[in-house]
Amino acid sequence: MTAQDYKAPESVGRLQQSALAIGGIALILALFGAVRSPELFYPSYLMSFMLILGLALGSLGLVMLQHLTSGHWGIIIRRPLESAMRTLPLVAAFFLPIAFIGMKYLYGAWLDPEKVKKEPLSDFQRGYLTHNGYLTRAVMYFATWLLLMFIFNRLSRQQDADREDRALRRRLNMLAGPGIIVYVFAMSFAAIDWVMSLSPHWASTIYGFLFVIGQMISSMALMIAVVVLLARAEPLAGILQKRHLHDLGKLLLAFVMLWAYFDFSQLLIIWSGNQPEEISFYRTRLYGEWGVVAVIVLVFHFFVPFFLLLSQDVKRNAKLLPKIAVWLIFMRLVDLFWMTRPEFTSRAVPTWLDIVLPLALGGLWLGFFAFNLKQLPLLPVGDPKLEEAIEHHEH
Amino acid sequence: MILHRSHIYGVVGEFETPEKLIHAVEKVREAGYRRFEAYSPFPVEGLSQAMGLKRNLVPLITLIGGLTGGIGGFGFQYWVAAITYPLNIGGRPFNSWPAFIPVTFELTILGASLAAVFGMLALNKLPQPHHPVFNVHRFSHASTDRFFICIESRDAKFHLAETARFLQGLEAHHVSEVSDD
Repeated sequence: MTAQDYKAPESVGRLQQSALAIGGIALILALFGAVRSPELFYPSYLMSFMLILGLALGSLGLVMLQHLTSGHWGIIIRRPLESAMRTLPLVAAFFLPIAFIGMKYLYGAWLDPEKVKKEPLSDFQRGYLTHNGYLTRAVMYFATWLLLMFIFNRLSRQQDADREDRALRRRLNMLAGPGIIVYVFAMSFAAIDWVMSLSPHWASTIYGFLFVIGQMISSMALMIAVVVLLARAEPLAGILQKRHLHDLGKLLLAFVMLWAYFDFSQLLIIWSGNQPEEISFYRTRLYGEWGVVAVIVLVFHFFVPFFLLLSQDVKRNAKLLPKIAVWLIFMRLVDLFWMTRPEFTSRAVPTWLDIVLPLALGGLWLGFFAFNLKQLPLLPVGDPKLEEAIEHHEH
Repeated sequence: MILHRSHIYGVVGEFETPEKLIHAVEKVREAGYRRFEAYSPFPVEGLSQAMGLKRNLVPLITLIGGLTGGIGGFGFQYWVAAITYPLNIGGRPFNSWPAFIPVTFELTILGASLAAVFGMLALNKLPQPHHPVFNVHRFSHASTDRFFICIESRDAKFHLAETARFLQGLEAHHVSEVSDD
């Protein structure tokens, strides 16, 4: 094949501008909320932050999964994945408001000396959940992820320059396995610190995996939407084939099933145990208004996408599949709403900040993502399997 | 020759490579033959598209099997635990649906996989201890290193001599008639 540079089409630039514009306007609106009612602002902010974190970290995880398996599906989306992964510095910046101001509005249950007296916390929990411990660990999580991002981004660029380098390919492969383990560990601890500690007396061992798999769903869904968008124009037009969409759709289905499996495992174990300190999580979330949200999550985050994605025709449909994907990203937000908000209120009604903040963080993030997309060729030109991956089999 | 048509199952042509097989299959279809079958020692990518195979019923049978297993599994547990032999377990409701889900899930998988395997066998009319193409001596190569096309005599366009000549024209290595007994 002749040397091609696979430059991003103009639509990426337009996406960047409109995303930044929407994100900027929403951010200004959100700032009023931050000043006027911080106790409403920060729960919303945490939810939106976890969604955006998922888009970036899920992509980091999928990049490593791709280097580990070197499937054709991953070669097609590797550059969009890497672009999403390279937004991690921005995501780290998004964390700063929580670290500097938001903590006292979010984690009163273990931060406020008055409230801690009432919580039945063990000595270990009291020692672990401290202001400084929280911040130190947050720095460690981001340092870990940024390091992984740096390594995989750098090696991928080197591969573009020298595609014959087999040692590089092996190194990517060797690093990916340990990288995934490190990412999942850090994310598990981060989920405990940032979200599970909202109700500090409650604990679940599968909690971190719920977030990891949720991140896989968000990232894979975003990638499906992005490749279909990119394939509307040169240079990817004609390269994206139905078999690629089929593979991506299959993975999305697998992630949705795994998410349901993890979520249900947690429910089944806690429900069977029926212990007062554990069941409180579901007492607040399965009854009253939050019960309605739980049913919405079950039906629209699992059953509807599951039955749609079962069909081969849907997975190969370039119109329908991205719609399901975008829908799933939205449902990730609803799921995060259901996971976090019941700790603050029994009213399951989103505030205006729940609309503005995801738009603000999401818009800015998408703008940065689009900017990253323009920096490198849209296909990993140095990947030894690239030609095989974009070859046409279908007659 | 037409007189013997009832004793002839078809004409079989032998090809040396999967590429030649796909090429020949495309020509056979272009020529208007519909009742033909391709045989190869391993799955050849693109062959089913070249043959113009329609989507089959296996996915639907699998779905029905899975739904039957799932609904049956849940229904049976509900019937036992909530209707015929209700037991109070730790004060939980008789219809303890979360506890029923693992079994429901397993039975969905069982139903779906059994339906897939047996549905596939039934649609392929398997097991079938004998097939007329086995009468062709060289056909044993279909399980090692040769690729075959058999145009069957029930095809409307079938004409023993012409079809045989047609296959020969497609660079078939050997062309033989297949007798029907």
